[in-house]
Amino acid sequence: MAQLKKLPRWLLGAGLLVAFDLTGRTLTSALSLPVPGPVLGMLLLLLALMLYGRVPRGLAEVAEQLLRYLVLILLPATVGIYFLRDLAINDWIALAVAMVVGTLISFTLTALLLNHLIRRRSNPQGEDTNVE
Amino acid sequence: MWSEWQTWLSQLQQAASDFTAPLSAAHPLIILPLNILGFWVALKIYRRLGSPLLHPVVGGSLLVFAGLWLLNVDFTGYQRGSGLLYLLLGPAVVALAIPLKQNLTMIRKVGWPLILGLLLGAVLAPLVAVVIALLLGGSKTVLVALTTKSVTTPVALALAQEMHGIQSLAAGVVAFTGIVGAVCGPGLLRRLNITDERVVGFSLGINAHAIGTVRALEISALCGAFSALAMGLCGALTALVLPLLVTS
Repeated sequence: MAQLKKLPRWLLGAGLLVAFDLTGRTLTSALSLPVPGPVLGMLLLLLALMLYGRVPRGLAEVAEQLLRYLVLILLPATVGIYFLRDLAINDWIALAVAMVVGTLISFTLTALLLNHLIRRRSNPQGEDTNVE
Repeated sequence: MWSEWQTWLSQLQQAASDFTAPLSAAHPLIILPLNILGFWVALKIYRRLGSPLLHPVVGGSLLVFAGLWLLNVDFTGYQRGSGLLYLLLGPAVVALAIPLKQNLTMIRKVGWPLILGLLLGAVLAPLVAVVIALLLGGSKTVLVALTTKSVTTPVALALAQEMHGIQSLAAGVVAFTGIVGAVCGPGLLRRLNITDERVVGFSLGINAHAIGTVRALEISALCGAFSALAMGLCGALTALVLPLLVTS
């Protein structure tokens, strides 16, 4: 019974997600924007939620469930990597080095920069990094 | 104007009609449970061992691939059988707006250092990787796949499609990048004496997206929130700017 009461709210949430997805797709194709449709839909939903002021309960619940199973939803696309045969050895080496070394470099640089910026801003006021 | 709705409806119809097709190894009733089983087992293993190396993205895809090999199903058949999951991809990207909205108040507390860090981090992550691959003589396919390396998979897939790249290669690059960042990142920062959890979380979110966020949540809730925030913002920013650069 409790489950049944949630149904309209969940349907509304799911409907909103599909509607924003389709709106994003329609807009990008109609205006030939170079942005992926669902991403535009996400930004539109973010904007709508900021204007609305809060997240409707059904929408929050459906989104939470959906994101919990994100790995499952992405599985078909991920499995495709094992079916890639037409890449040259050279390409694989370039990929692997770029991913490992590149990620470590960019990770370090972002953290150093951010650390520097946050410290510089909070130190003059004598603010501690701890959240009070 | 309505063509996108029609494509979506016909995809829905296709996925539904595939269910009524005669039973074969590539039938949705076989492929979907295989996906769910692969995901579920991978999640159990990951929870038990807790190593980011065995993130469900890695374990799940390996298990499903093994299943496909045993059932002798090719990739086209598998994709068809997974039609229902493909339909959820768009709504899943849209759903990312909700955690983004819930974390948005936090950015006001830290303010411009966060925004500046985000802008530079979002540019640096793909740029460094592409430059390295370019120096090593990687082909265009590889370069395009690398540009999406630091954004979360659903957004990376949408981007790969937009830029006519190979979706599965992009997905693989994203997963691997996330693992490298999540496994090595926090230790690396400790060695550099960076202990501010906000900085660690934000760097994880920018460079290692969802896998990094899972790792950040293990450190602390604050760290996780900053990671989720960085992941969402970085994904949105990359999705807006990248296609302009690649197509021009």
